[in-house]
Amino acid sequence: MSLELRNVGWNAGFKKIISDVSLRVTRGEFLGVIGPNGSGKTSMMSVLGGIRAPSTGQALLGDQPMKKIGRRNLARHIGFVEQQADTIDRITVRDAVALGRTPYLSLLTPWSGHDDAIVCEALASVEMGPFADRMWHTLSGGEKQRVHIARALAQQPDFLLLDEPTNHLDIHHQLGLLELVRALPVTVVAALHDLNHAAMFCDRIAMMDGGKLIALGTPEQILTSQNLREVFGVAADIEIDDQGRCHIRYHAGNQKTRAIKKDRVA
Amino acid sequence: MFETSPVQQPVQPPRQSLAGRAYLVRAGVSLGALVLLVGVIAMAAAKGETHIPLGTVLQTIANHLWQAGYDVDPIDAGIIWNYRISRAMVAAACGASLALSGAVLQALLRNSLADPYLLGISAGASTGAVSVAILGFGAGMVSLSLGAFVGALVAFGFVALLAIPAGRGAGAIILAGVAGSQLFNALTSFIVTKAATADEARGVMFWLLGNLSGVRWPDVYLALPVAVIGLLGCLWYSRALDAFTFGVESAASLGVPVRRVYVVLIAIAASMTAVMVSIVGAIGFVGLVIPHAARFFVGTRHGFLLPASALIGAVFLVAADIVSRIILDGQVLPIGVITALIGAPAFAIILCHGRVLR
Amino acid sequence: MINHDKRVLAVGVFAAGLISSVSFASATEYPLSIENCGTVLQFDAAPDRVVSLGQSTTEILYSLGLADKVKGTGVWFGPVMDEFKDVNASVPRLADNDPGFETVVAQKPQLVATQYQWHVGPKGTVGTTEQFNELSIPVYTAPADCVGKDNAGGGDGVRHEGFTMDLIYREISDLAQIFDAEDRGDALIASLKERQESSLARVTASGHDNVSAVFWFSSPEINSDPYVAGKNGAAGYIAGKLGVRNIIDSNEEWPTVGWETIARANPDIIVIGKMGRRRFPADDWQVKMDFLKTDPVVSQMKAVRSGNIVVMDAQSMDPTIRLINGIETLAEAVERLSASN
Repeated sequence: MSLELRNVGWNAGFKKIISDVSLRVTRGEFLGVIGPNGSGKTSMMSVLGGIRAPSTGQALLGDQPMKKIGRRNLARHIGFVEQQADTIDRITVRDAVALGRTPYLSLLTPWSGHDDAIVCEALASVEMGPFADRMWHTLSGGEKQRVHIARALAQQPDFLLLDEPTNHLDIHHQLGLLELVRALPVTVVAALHDLNHAAMFCDRIAMMDGGKLIALGTPEQILTSQNLREVFGVAADIEIDDQGRCHIRYHAGNQKTRAIKKDRVA
Repeated sequence: MFETSPVQQPVQPPRQSLAGRAYLVRAGVSLGALVLLVGVIAMAAAKGETHIPLGTVLQTIANHLWQAGYDVDPIDAGIIWNYRISRAMVAAACGASLALSGAVLQALLRNSLADPYLLGISAGASTGAVSVAILGFGAGMVSLSLGAFVGALVAFGFVALLAIPAGRGAGAIILAGVAGSQLFNALTSFIVTKAATADEARGVMFWLLGNLSGVRWPDVYLALPVAVIGLLGCLWYSRALDAFTFGVESAASLGVPVRRVYVVLIAIAASMTAVMVSIVGAIGFVGLVIPHAARFFVGTRHGFLLPASALIGAVFLVAADIVSRIILDGQVLPIGVITALIGAPAFAIILCHGRVLR
Repeated sequence: MINHDKRVLAVGVFAAGLISSVSFASATEYPLSIENCGTVLQFDAAPDRVVSLGQSTTEILYSLGLADKVKGTGVWFGPVMDEFKDVNASVPRLADNDPGFETVVAQKPQLVATQYQWHVGPKGTVGTTEQFNELSIPVYTAPADCVGKDNAGGGDGVRHEGFTMDLIYREISDLAQIFDAEDRGDALIASLKERQESSLARVTASGHDNVSAVFWFSSPEINSDPYVAGKNGAAGYIAGKLGVRNIIDSNEEWPTVGWETIARANPDIIVIGKMGRRRFPADDWQVKMDFLKTDPVVSQMKAVRSGNIVVMDAQSMDPTIRLINGIETLAEAVERLSASN
């Protein structure tokens, strides 16, 4: 089962948000998507997840155009976790995860013990088992994100797409979440804003800028000082440790500021 | 690498699964609710502007249901069967439809304050009715009901057209609905102040506040099927409605055909509401408050919430109709006044008990 | 205001009595001061130009032979009385409903006569009394609309004191006095009184006992609660004068009462209004008749079963000069009812 974009463009009205994006997700990998604000990450993820239809080009699942596959079928293979989804409904954690079974339920196939089991499994994978009967609104941000992931897992997907899943979490939960996700037996595509996290967890990184996919490769290939300066507008040094992992060291401010500081000290 | 939560106990399967005892409980509750509905309709037959002894009421019902052959004064029998019972049935159908539409719109638009009139329907109905009664559209051949129905559809069409360029999504629909309602309400006020004579204005205004006085059996033959079909149609999409819990994108990711669900459910809600408003006028508070009350009792899962809303709405409106007829001696209050008088404090109580907000 | 009205009423009744007791006509003495609805109107001479807003007032003016002085009319509820068809044709009709203020004033009237205060009055839709007075145009309001009636609430108003024909007679005599046509005024009043007496005589002779009736004007929807006559209005007066019991016991002019209540009260006679207006389907008397015969409850009423349904000109049920027709029609119906019993 493969997930692919071929020359995909997406327009909002007359404005081109993303154009000519081609990408093939490898089975079992953790693919990170990075880029500055407005680079089109979320739009690309939406098309990749089958939530939006591309304006140009094709989105394919298992080499079949998503259009032909149908929403329900897509939902059985792709789980999508938005940046921030919340509700004021008074539901339990279990109810929230149970929504993930929607693509499998119908009038003729009502809820069964099998669905219960899958929900339990999903909760266990995100280590939220004891929270099953808690009310949604009593959870913290990190806990809610984990429940969202559990819901996506309840869909029994082949691919898990996460759109900036750690945005509003504290550092402990950011890392915990990414660690958890990496350990899951699904192929993950995650849009990340923290480049060091991308370096730590991703097998490959896709870098986007101005609506185009400008680079795709391993962290060492993508996360270079030059790319960081050109795409993100920051000065940084890249350190590669003995295990081959990248660490980005940012330089605060630019040359001018450093010169002024030097003068002051002196 | 980093500490995650400690290993947990294996997750227990839920204590309440949909089998055995739970089914029995649910069946029992449904039966009880239906009995309650029948009971309140029977009470509506027994109580009214004038006093008819209970014995006569029961005899009349017996005569109609299984040809019991009692000797009942034809006027009394007519009042009970043709006026009161038909009126109660329409009240039930109307209450159910409005509550159902409210529940559906609250789920689709993700807004606790959504109600069926948000789509401009009651505003359009009032403009239509007022055009017939005051401007003389139809020259006396067109009834207020027909005028109201046409007005409702026109207003809804206007709102729908407005919502499209305003962008898709709940926010656009709500804004378009507010704009449309304001426009048609302004039109109504304009027509009334400029062109109406005193009794024309009074007649129409009274009708618009909700008026079950003109209801007869033919209205039942229209209202009841509409309510039942509407309920079945909405129930078909109850899982889809659940999927909207976390928003439109979330629903799409769960495989729900969002566009189609929106179009179909809004069309069902609009049609049900337009039909009801054209039969009995604009009765407020039912579509807004009853879904919250239903959530209070059965939770948010739409497979239970929709039938519960319909049932509670039906019972509520029949009860409100009874109250409107007996509260003042020899006079009938507009039912919209009763629903507001009961609905507003009830809403406040529900809010205070904290188990609300969708 | 109420006290003032009572005083006006007293003066009016006294004046009317005085006029009607004089056996020969007297010419009006000018300058004339005449009390009307709490104000005093002054006339230096008989006006030559009058605008009449209100079908009843217009028909009174025609009955007094003053059609040539009427320079504009408005507020019509139906076709003019047959005998005035030709005369009316040459009088400019400013509007079927209420004309605009400027339209009225453009006729340069020396007097504006209005049937209802809510056309010309403290909050008149055509104009306020002050507006006309500022242009030195006096406004005469039909006593039937201000004496013993509270129009502050808008709409048809609520009548506190029962309407009587004396209010119409006063309008006739007032207008006759203003236009120096008192002999014609006296004659008209006398003929109307005579007709009323003979109707009463017919009813007494028929030996009816305890006949009840309801007066149905129209309904917003054919099935919904109808507008029926309250006890203090013109229709209530008709019933009262003839000893017929109006089953509706309300102070409002035209309250809405449920069919259930009417059916259970089961009146002997149902009077349905016939009018030219077509706003509600029920305005048409045939639609009302149809409803009476086909509604499952109402068709069981004894009045419907025995055919004691009276079709009456709607304006006869209102405080107008046509009220006498209403009295005659109902008297006829009571006679018929008693005969068939």
